[in-house]
Amino acid sequence: MMYPRLAHNRKLYGIVAGLCVLLLIVASGGGLFHQTGFWMGDWQHQAFRMLCHQDPARSFWINGKPMAVCTRCYGIYAGFSLLWLGLPMLSSGIRFIKRHAGRLLVGAITVNIIDVVVNMLGFWQNTLASRTVTGAVIGMTAVLYLADKFLTSTQKT
Amino acid sequence: METTDQQKPGVGNGNGAPSYWSSVAIASVLFGIIAFIISITMIYITINSEATGSFFSPSQLIGVLGCLVGAFGGMVATWHYASEFDVPIKLGKGALIGLFTGFGISLISVLLNQLWGLIDPDMTQQMIDSMVANFEAMDLPEEQKQQMIDSTVQNMRSQQSIGSQLLWGLPMYGILNLLTGMIGAKLFGKDEDELA
Repeated sequence: MMYPRLAHNRKLYGIVAGLCVLLLIVASGGGLFHQTGFWMGDWQHQAFRMLCHQDPARSFWINGKPMAVCTRCYGIYAGFSLLWLGLPMLSSGIRFIKRHAGRLLVGAITVNIIDVVVNMLGFWQNTLASRTVTGAVIGMTAVLYLADKFLTSTQKT
Repeated sequence: METTDQQKPGVGNGNGAPSYWSSVAIASVLFGIIAFIISITMIYITINSEATGSFFSPSQLIGVLGCLVGAFGGMVATWHYASEFDVPIKLGKGALIGLFTGFGISLISVLLNQLWGLIDPDMTQQMIDSMVANFEAMDLPEEQKQQMIDSTVQNMRSQQSIGSQLLWGLPMYGILNLLTGMIGAKLFGKDEDELA
């Protein structure tokens, strides 16, 4: 069995895993598929138009085209997707996760808010890498926050 | 009044569970309006800003702040459902509430966009003019500029149709709100142990 330690909500886990991979592929933009034409017209950009500012200067570029989302959003999706796929491997640390995941998620969100505000006020200049990493931390801690619902029994049968 | 476990709304998530549609509707309307306001504000700031020759316009500042705001409808819907009925919410149910809320947000924002088109029918053309002026101010080869302008004009026009807006709005808002709906279910839904 591929994921022997996944105890609950397996169907939901599978659905979310599929959607996450799909989301990540779409978020990577038209460059991933070597699409031609101006990037603003790519369907990937249209898909995320309402969800991200899509500033090309704040996005990674693949094959001469910016991704369909900014680096922070991409970090969130990538962090969430990667840790989600590795979720069954976390079962050994479930006690730690159960105790600290909430605090870690709040901490990750706080760090991102501070990063955005301090950058806007001009005290700190964030970069593509720093935005990706801070975004990825949100995505990963969100998975940790949900982990115990998949790895341990929380409901009476 | 005494209630049995069977009568307690939502216990066991069986047939007695209260409907989540009111929570879905409330969150959909709320976040649909927020998504619409963000979109319309960005459009008007773009229309009224001077051509800078940069891809990043002042309107996108709102986008930076409002990034992913539309994804939190699922969380709010599960919060409303949990606080209204004081029931446990399984993760799958939270995901479903989030998914439907995402669909609702997309529908409401598209509907409001269409209605706004009746109030200000020139908005799209003004937006196109503003973007074209911005591209023309860019320091790029003429051929490349023309390609960008053609693509953007075509893109902006096609985005005005209800079908095009729903084609991307429904799945994207649906997926992201599904995820936040799950988080909301964990955050706000009481464990069944607490109610037992």
